[in-house]
Amino acid sequence: MDPATTPGGQPPAAQSPPDRVPVLEMRHITMRFGSFRALKDVDFLVNQGEIVALLGENGSGKSTLVKVLAGVNAPDAGAEMYLGGRPVPLPLAPGQFRDLGLSFVHQDLGLARTLTVAENLVVAESGSVHSRRPINWRAERRRIRRLLDSYQVTIDPATVIDRLPPVGQALVAIVRAAEELRAYRLRDDVARSILFLDEPTVFLPESEVEFLFDLIRTVVREGASVVFISHDLSAVRTVCDRAVVLRDGEVAGRTALAGISDERLVELIVGQGAGKRVEFSHRRAGDGRLAKSLFEVRGLRGGRVADVSLDVRGTEIVGLAGLLGSGAEDVPYLLFGSAAGAAGSMRVDGWTVSVPRLKPFEAVHRKVALVPADRRRDGIAPALTVAENATILVNDEHTSFGRLRLRRLRKVVRDLLDRFNVRPRDPGAPAWQLSGGNQQRVVLAKWLEINPKLLLLHEPTQGVDVAARAQIYRMVRDATDGGMATLWVSSDFEELAAVCDRVIIVAAGLVRAELSGDEVTEEKISSAVYYYSTDAASVLADEASAPGPDHTLGTEGRHVDG
Amino acid sequence: MSTAETATDESGAGEQRSGAELAARTGGLAVLAERAALPVAWVALIIIYSITSPGLFLTWSNISNILGSQAVLFVLALAALMPSFTGDFDLSLGGVMGLTAMVVGVLNTRHGMGILPACLIAVAVAVIAGCLNGFFVVTCDTNALIVTLGMGSVFTGLIYFLAGSNTITGIGESLSRATFTTKLLGIPVEFYYGLVLMLIVWYVSTFTPLGLRALFVGQARDVARLSGIRVSRLRWGGFVLGGLIAGLAGILFVGTTGSADPTASAPYLLPAYAAVFLGATTLKPGRFNALGVGIAVYFLATGVNGLQLLGAANYVQQLFYGAALIAAVVLSRQLRRRT
Repeated sequence: MDPATTPGGQPPAAQSPPDRVPVLEMRHITMRFGSFRALKDVDFLVNQGEIVALLGENGSGKSTLVKVLAGVNAPDAGAEMYLGGRPVPLPLAPGQFRDLGLSFVHQDLGLARTLTVAENLVVAESGSVHSRRPINWRAERRRIRRLLDSYQVTIDPATVIDRLPPVGQALVAIVRAAEELRAYRLRDDVARSILFLDEPTVFLPESEVEFLFDLIRTVVREGASVVFISHDLSAVRTVCDRAVVLRDGEVAGRTALAGISDERLVELIVGQGAGKRVEFSHRRAGDGRLAKSLFEVRGLRGGRVADVSLDVRGTEIVGLAGLLGSGAEDVPYLLFGSAAGAAGSMRVDGWTVSVPRLKPFEAVHRKVALVPADRRRDGIAPALTVAENATILVNDEHTSFGRLRLRRLRKVVRDLLDRFNVRPRDPGAPAWQLSGGNQQRVVLAKWLEINPKLLLLHEPTQGVDVAARAQIYRMVRDATDGGMATLWVSSDFEELAAVCDRVIIVAAGLVRAELSGDEVTEEKISSAVYYYSTDAASVLADEASAPGPDHTLGTEGRHVDG
Repeated sequence: MSTAETATDESGAGEQRSGAELAARTGGLAVLAERAALPVAWVALIIIYSITSPGLFLTWSNISNILGSQAVLFVLALAALMPSFTGDFDLSLGGVMGLTAMVVGVLNTRHGMGILPACLIAVAVAVIAGCLNGFFVVTCDTNALIVTLGMGSVFTGLIYFLAGSNTITGIGESLSRATFTTKLLGIPVEFYYGLVLMLIVWYVSTFTPLGLRALFVGQARDVARLSGIRVSRLRWGGFVLGGLIAGLAGILFVGTTGSADPTASAPYLLPAYAAVFLGATTLKPGRFNALGVGIAVYFLATGVNGLQLLGAANYVQQLFYGAALIAAVVLSRQLRRRT
């Protein structure tokens, strides 16, 4: 989308009062990954005591911008940065943000997962004061316990991070950031501090979101500024003053939140004319009871999954909805044999197998396909070419006397690139040169080429632009219409509502409800998910001895009997 | 699909394409230079040495000496290439080579066994050694560097145990005839064995599905596992084939020297890995490849040979190999960082 034609493309004049210098100002930030420009000449400023929302779709460049400030990403030459009017040379060194008064809660929380809560909190502090004193661990643990108490977070400091539920982990990361800010205030070389929260509400149940908002307001009262990155527009409206919207790596608009409607805000995020985020209304009629189920799993257990049974019919897309930590995210890997299952049996097109004994090789052989969520690590081999990535599953079908028939393979790849609209149409390009959306098209092309019976998708549109997203929806729908069974696991409920025939709600490792037909809407999915997750949340809250959230949320989801 | 989506898609794709074209235009020459750097450096070495050592370097006997004398290193480098393909290290390959040589020597001289059965048993021992590495590294899921370092020490201990710390001499002539003393176009036949082996490895790794699967395992192990590739099996294969080929190198070693010296095999491991990593900077930069290994082995051999002709002392060989390995690793790291 050409930014010059969108009304939001022209940023209004800087909104800082003339008598005040912004705390942080960034100018001309351009960031390249290979030939892909994640940020294009972005200007961004934060005023004293302000809570700024940084909005935009997955892959729009929000996290990339934050990582420039964290010293992880080095922007292209020409980028400028000013703190309180004072120029700071870019790129920043790793850890330099501590000297600049910046503090981060990253999306992945940035905790050392095998260390304890106390170790994580102490390391953050000792890093900030360059202390050379030996650490008295017993005293530190007592101090950390008091510290957590002062935030009304009751977690044992000796717990290893990995053993904490996601909520607990998020709280530790937030407390760590708040403490960092407090430490900055005690230093005389840091005039102003800024807290960056990258998608902080994802892990938090309602009750803890309030805790977070209180904390943000306290932080601001004490003199810091906050940059709040979120998809959750209602949360943004609750705490933020102003929003900066990124789209495809460019600033699509800057706006005060008071005078703007939700529709207009969404339009800024998504792009003009798109109206709704993704136009997709190819949903089949809800009643598919006539078709026989092509895929069944009974009594699945393993990872965070306690007991899941479900059926998917041919030509049907079934969504699996759950919050992070619900177990839904483990299901595709268990059904593919790449995560160790503890119990359960599954049947795909007449072939029955016990899940604990399933191996990925066998799964592929029986035409089970898996599109994993972590594309960079699990989905695509970045150093290998597009052609190699796209044909790794089928290349042994194109041989004569054991030798690859390279010419025929090249033709297969060219057809695939055309059919899945992969840009650039260059089979020899290394995969890292492609944008996220195009990489995901290659992954999908690779799997659909084996004509799967069961397609397992885990967050297939994460970090993918809107256009590619719509196309991925259509490709999966077309392939499913051809007789395949599809299981779509996502924490993006809008996406599930757009593509799924049925949606199954998973909480605490159990199937809790099923929505079908007209019930498959974003609102019903999310209210059902949150309703059924609350008892999970209260279990976690018990562990943390925090007041349990109330159970007043309603749901239209119907219980699954048996 | 709505018109809005189509429009977005086309503009986004156009931008992507122009970006890639730009990269191709500015990068095309650099890529070519990168691919050709090692062969060009090799030719440059040859020209320099033939000027500095006229009548010594560029003679048929010296060329035949370079090609023939390095056949053992050539084959051992191909052995080191096997686990490298699947993303593993095997630092015990020098020990495996020495053990094979020693088994041949002991069976032939002390037990009067014929050369052929002695060689077969020795190669079987090498394969078993590869299996042990596969078991400890892949099945027990341990760090390949450390485990194979330990295994290398175990094999060296076995070599001394078998040898009684003595060099075994008087090994059957037929082995020397089959490898070293018989010449084709003035070059010992073992060079051609290495050449054939290299071509087989090159063919299998480039033109068969098996080779591509190994490539995936080496370059992106998680992707390979989640594509249903039997990662463990291929890694096992890397270790076992590495052992097998190191065993063949051991046979050539006995044939070349006519003896089995317990200390002689250890210095071979480092230049073998230097060749593997140097090879990965050429022809297909960033990828381990058999032809690159062949070029790298003879680049290293030429470099050392020329320096010796110039009267350099023996330690120059160590310096040269070490420097080449470090240069190769730094270069390939730079290649990867750019991506």
